Amino acid sequence: MDIRFSDCSVKFKSHVALHPFSLDISERRVGIIGLNGSGKTTFAKLINGLVKPSTGHVTVNGHDTVAEAKAVLTLAGFIFQNPQQQLIMPIVSEDIAFGLKAHGFSPAEVASRTEAALARLGISALGPRRVHELSGGEVQLAAIASVVATGPEILIFDEPVNQLDLRNRARVLAAIESLPESAIVISHDLPLIEGFDRVLVFHEGRIAFDGAPGPAIAHYREIAAC
Amino acid sequence: MLKSLYVDGHTFLHRASAGAKMAALALCGIALYFTHSTIILASATVLAGTIYLRVGLDLREAYARLKPVLFTIGILALVNWWVLGFGIAAMQLLRIIAIVLLAAAITATTRIAEFMALIEWLLGPLDRRGLVRASDISLALGLVLRFVPDIFAHYEGLKDAHVARGIPFRPARAIGPMIILVLKDADSIAEAIDARGIRGL
Repeated sequence: MDIRFSDCSVKFKSHVALHPFSLDISERRVGIIGLNGSGKTTFAKLINGLVKPSTGHVTVNGHDTVAEAKAVLTLAGFIFQNPQQQLIMPIVSEDIAFGLKAHGFSPAEVASRTEAALARLGISALGPRRVHELSGGEVQLAAIASVVATGPEILIFDEPVNQLDLRNRARVLAAIESLPESAIVISHDLPLIEGFDRVLVFHEGRIAFDGAPGPAIAHYREIAAC
Repeated sequence: MLKSLYVDGHTFLHRASAGAKMAALALCGIALYFTHSTIILASATVLAGTIYLRVGLDLREAYARLKPVLFTIGILALVNWWVLGFGIAAMQLLRIIAIVLLAAAITATTRIAEFMALIEWLLGPLDRRGLVRASDISLALGLVLRFVPDIFAHYEGLKDAHVARGIPFRPARAIGPMIILVLKDADSIAEAIDARGIRGL
């Protein structure tokens, strides 16, 4: 993974969501923490081009997120905070197949990749199930399967264990840990990011800390206590 | 709570292709339009009702699904009765109900993916000439069908919120919050579609 932010900032009308910053990310597991509204999600959305920088530019493995948006979309997959709305088709396997078809895979590849994605996450049994009938953890796993099926090199998770019970949290965490892809994870769940290679702490649209998980969490606690 | 418009089953309609069902629905619509016998129209309505009730829905859900459209049809029938008289109003009412029942039966027995594939196939010639994007139109249709249960869920949620706070629930009061919730959903879904590269790759 090679993500580069160069003099990047994001402004929504008069509101500055992210102040200018430059940053390189190459670690395999990167955590993002910070208070609500601190700019975490905007930062993550810059990576796969969902948010365009107001100034500067972002590249993912050498591809510019604005000029080469299609290439970036295939490189970086995004798993949303509310995965229920990420799954477009009502049946899990149909949804995975739908995404693959849109990416131009042949019918044979669609079938094999759908099966493989479900198997990788240990949810083959969920293939024929309806999205509305799944538990929170199962929906999250199905959403991850729908994204990994297309073969992105980087996965961006926006609060993947938010609102999950302990069992589902453990299932989703085990799945994330077992994925070979690089991962950028936004989370309020601090134990989740303890074993990560690098953690960024966001505060009021700025990167307030960038380093190892231990000091990053300590810094975040200081910010939260103010 | 409504989970999905599709109902699992193994009936003849479940086995039939989406194209055959839609063609049959179109032919039935044309035939009913040219039928002016109240007895035949009434028989067709009873037959359509029987087909609808055999797709695997219980009576309560079968009625709940059609309640909003039946309400609208009822108002239309009253206006027709007043303007055109009882006979014509009755014939038009029977025609519309028969078609609605058949359409509901097809909706309940056809997967969204089949509908989408059919739309893409039908619009294929226009797509190849660059006049439309068949995949976008089929996606729009698929999204409507997929998220209908979510709209019902929002309605139920608002109802529960009123009850929990001891406020009498009036459907009209839910219109504003419903519109806001649906628009927020639309934003999130559009963003997810972009993120997954569903369009424009």
